[in-house]
Formats: sequence, C-alpha cells, structure tokens
Amino acid sequence: MALIERFQKVTDVTYWEGQIPMSYIYTVGRAGEKFFREMINGKIFGAKCNQCNLIYVPPRIYCEKCFERLEENYLEVGTKGKVHTFTQCYETYDGVRKEVPSIVAVIRIDGTEGGFVHWLGEVEFKDVYFGMPVEAVFKDKKEREGSILDIKYFRPIK
Amino acid sequence: MTKRVAIVGIGTTGFRATTPDVSYRELTYEAAMKAYLDAGIEPKDVDSFVSTAEDFFEGYSIADEYSPDQLGAVLKPIYTVPGDFIHSLASAYMMILSGIGPISVVQGLSKASNMLTLSEMVTFAMDPIYNRPLKESPHAVAGLEMARFMYETGTTREQIAQVVVKNRRNALTNPYAGHGVLVDIDYVLNSEVVSYPLTQMDIAPHSDGAVVVVLAEEETAKALTDKPIWIRGIGWCSDTPGLETRNWGEAVYAQIAAEMAYKMAGIRYPRKEIDFAEVNDEFSYKELQHLEAMRIFRKGEAGAFTAMGGTEINGEFPVNPSGGCLGVGNLYELNGGLKVLEVVRQLRGEAGKNQIKNVTTGLAQSWRGIPTATGTVVILSN
Repeated sequence: MALIERFQKVTDVTYWEGQIPMSYIYTVGRAGEKFFREMINGKIFGAKCNQCNLIYVPPRIYCEKCFERLEENYLEVGTKGKVHTFTQCYETYDGVRKEVPSIVAVIRIDGTEGGFVHWLGEVEFKDVYFGMPVEAVFKDKKEREGSILDIKYFRPIK
Repeated sequence: MTKRVAIVGIGTTGFRATTPDVSYRELTYEAAMKAYLDAGIEPKDVDSFVSTAEDFFEGYSIADEYSPDQLGAVLKPIYTVPGDFIHSLASAYMMILSGIGPISVVQGLSKASNMLTLSEMVTFAMDPIYNRPLKESPHAVAGLEMARFMYETGTTREQIAQVVVKNRRNALTNPYAGHGVLVDIDYVLNSEVVSYPLTQMDIAPHSDGAVVVVLAEEETAKALTDKPIWIRGIGWCSDTPGLETRNWGEAVYAQIAAEMAYKMAGIRYPRKEIDFAEVNDEFSYKELQHLEAMRIFRKGEAGAFTAMGGTEINGEFPVNPSGGCLGVGNLYELNGGLKVLEVVRQLRGEAGKNQIKNVTTGLAQSWRGIPTATGTVVILSN
C-alpha cells in the first residue's frame, strides 16, 4: 500500500495489541524506613536542614537546596497541618468516573516545608478552605503496615 | 561571538485525534520527508540527529533504538532525549555550536491514540511510595494546582474559560489542528467537572502527529534558505518532582527557563521585545500561569488581559494563535514541537488565516505535563 492511499474504514486497519506486564519493588530507602516505622507508631517524622533552617516531610537524607546530609536530623513534627490547596476529584487513576468523588488536598505540616497529598475526611467539600487547620487520622494500630495509607485521611481540627 | 544557528526546514503530518492508517514510524517519515524538502537537503547532508521519545508512551522499553530508520539516520550520529521536543532542539543547537557539523535535525512524535491505558501511564509518573497508593487520577494534581493558582492570583473561573474559547476557536482556522470548535464560556463552565475546579473542557484532548525541524549554522543557513528563523535564546529547567514540597501556585520552572532564554537573547522587557507566544496549555489555566511566570504579564493580570481579548490573534499580545494544545491536541513529548512549528510558520508569514501581522520575534514554551515541573523555552526571530 502506497503512502498516499488511505484506509476507508477503521475496521480495515490491521493492528497488534500488546501488553507490558511490569512488577516492581520500590525500596523506601533509609529516610523512608524511619518515616514508615514511625508511622506505625502513629507518629510523623521529618528531617531538618540546620543550614537552611527548614524541615522536610517526608524526611530525606539530603537537602535539595544546599545538598547538606540530613540523616542525623530526624525529628517528630506532630500530626497537625494546614490545607495548602484542595480539589474534589471525580475520576480514578485509570480514568473511570467515580460514583462518590473524593476530596484530595495538599497538607502542609505545621512548622515544615513539606507534608502530604492525602484525602480530607469528616468534612463537606463546600466547607473546606485555604489554610484550614487539619490533623491526621490514623488507622487502628493493628491495621498499620508502614505505608502512606496508615493515615486514613486528614480531618478538620474542631 | 557565538555562531548563529537557524531553523531552515520544518515538516509535519498535522495533528489528528487518531491516525489508524499509519504507524508511528510512518508519521515521522512523512514529517521528515517534508522537512528535508523544505530545507532543500537530503538525509545524507545531515551531520547529527536528535529524536524525542518517552519509553512508556511509545510502548517500548528502549524506544530510542527504534528512531533512526524513519529519519534517514541509520549509521549516523543520533540519540534520543526523553524529555520535551525543545530539550531536543537545545541538544541539536549545542551539537552545531560544538562543531559536530553544520546541519542537525530534531524529531518528535505523538501516537497517543495507541495508548489504551493512557490515564494509567500518567499515573505511573507519580511517586510510587508517597502518591500512587491513593489511586487518585493524575487530573487531581491539575485540580490542586489550578485551585491554588486561582487563590494566589485572583484569576476567575470565567477568565480561565476564555482561554479554552480562544484556543479552540483559533484551531478552527489552523489546517493542522485536530480539535477546533466554537464554544462559549458557559459551555466550558458547564462541562463535566473532572477535579474541581478543572472541567473536561479545560483539559487538552490528545492528538497524534510528528514534527521534524532542520537546524543549520549561519553560513549554511543562508545558502539553504531566504527565510532563516534564528534561535536567539533557549532555556530549560526542572523544579523538584516532590508534590509535598513544590510550589503549587507559580510555575517557577517556566520562570527560570525563560530567564535563561531571555539572557541569551539579550531580552530585558519580554512583553515589549517579543511579539507573540506559543505557550503550553495542556490545561487551560497553565496558559495564564506560564505567561505570568515568564514576565509577559504581572502575577494576576494574564486572566483579565485574556478576558479583554488581548491575547487574540489580532490582540496586543497574541498567545497560542495555532490553537495551542487545547485546540491542536495534547502531543505529550511533542508539545514543544507544536509550539516551535507555529512560531516558525508565523515568523515566515506562512500561518494562513491565523497569521499575525508584522511579527519579528516569537516565544515557544513547553512543559512536560503532569506530574512534572519541567519547562522549556526558545526565542526565535526572523
């Protein structure tokens, strides 16, 4: 078939459907190990850069600004923060429409430069605002497994 | 003084939502053939090639190995940049300046319609440990950013909707565009909410297509064409990929990439010294956010200027006369290629019904899409 000829119907087109099966293990690293082990205890940890005077949450072993090593500088940062920005999402990760939308927010943990992209719960979307104080709600201790999902959601502080 | 480098040839397939009758290789072949014809060269005259590909988007684990044949680059110096088309352009520009040879070719491609699980591909760009377990749509990232942008700048939902109205209308008179349509602000505001405040109409629908660009060093450029389009400045930059610590209101990556390009081009007042811009608008609000980041407008002013018609083709500072990603289509790693293509067409006076009068300098800007914070900018003059 020459380049200038065109198919008349899409169903005339020949194609091959292929999949790429992929399984992967993502090691959490040394800073992640500290973060998720403490998560099981219901605690949130960050890492402080003394040179830049800022705290990373989640913690890391280096400062992205000055490149200082932060591994000795883990510290507990509490479970409270503020809503930095928020959205109500009607779509799942694979592009399917949700029956019940979720409220997703960026939560800045108080006193830190970082925080979480996580859900908001126990609140109506219309009542959420920028700067709203929220706190982490953890799963029951026996259900925690050292994952970001050990936090169920963040809820407004009454 | 540094040697000058010009764009001496462009070729494209045009852009459509689906291209079932051709393979991705045949798309590139068509664009390459047209670019070589436009430049008056043959592949054997080319000293180096740069292709643009993202492995997952092409469906290969080493996609770059599949790029030489359709470009005429077999057994020639070629490598692939897994970034934006303008990253590849920068790479080709540097190859000419470093003396590899006077002619270099840049290629970019989108075969987005081949991706049956496109949404998941984008989801897999997110952090596997901190973000992916939530199983939220990548569009939530755009919703979060749009909300913060509106909050920080006072930009209204109506002003953002005007970007969609303008770009999709511009696409109607661009023969290369695949998604032109005449809609009003209400239509945009009432379309289905995907991740509030982002609606379906705020999201650029995907397109297929290819772009090939031929670059040449000054002497060769002048021998090849009467209409060389000079690269005056180029810049690129990446912010942290971490959603937890990044700036959610401002496109800092675009600001720094633009300042790098302005400095190289000797531009101090971009609004005065540049005539028009093609900027990344994969999401409607990104057009306004990028314009403000690049000092074309002050923070919070791009929306009002757009609502008054200032960024229309006949406006004071035209933006996305091609129809942008919203009107032409989201081309993923080729998005920068669409921008460069349109700026070159405008500067050559070949933009047909969408031609802006009396233009000498244009800006092309791109962004690597969700969830990245990577931007590229190139400034071109005729």
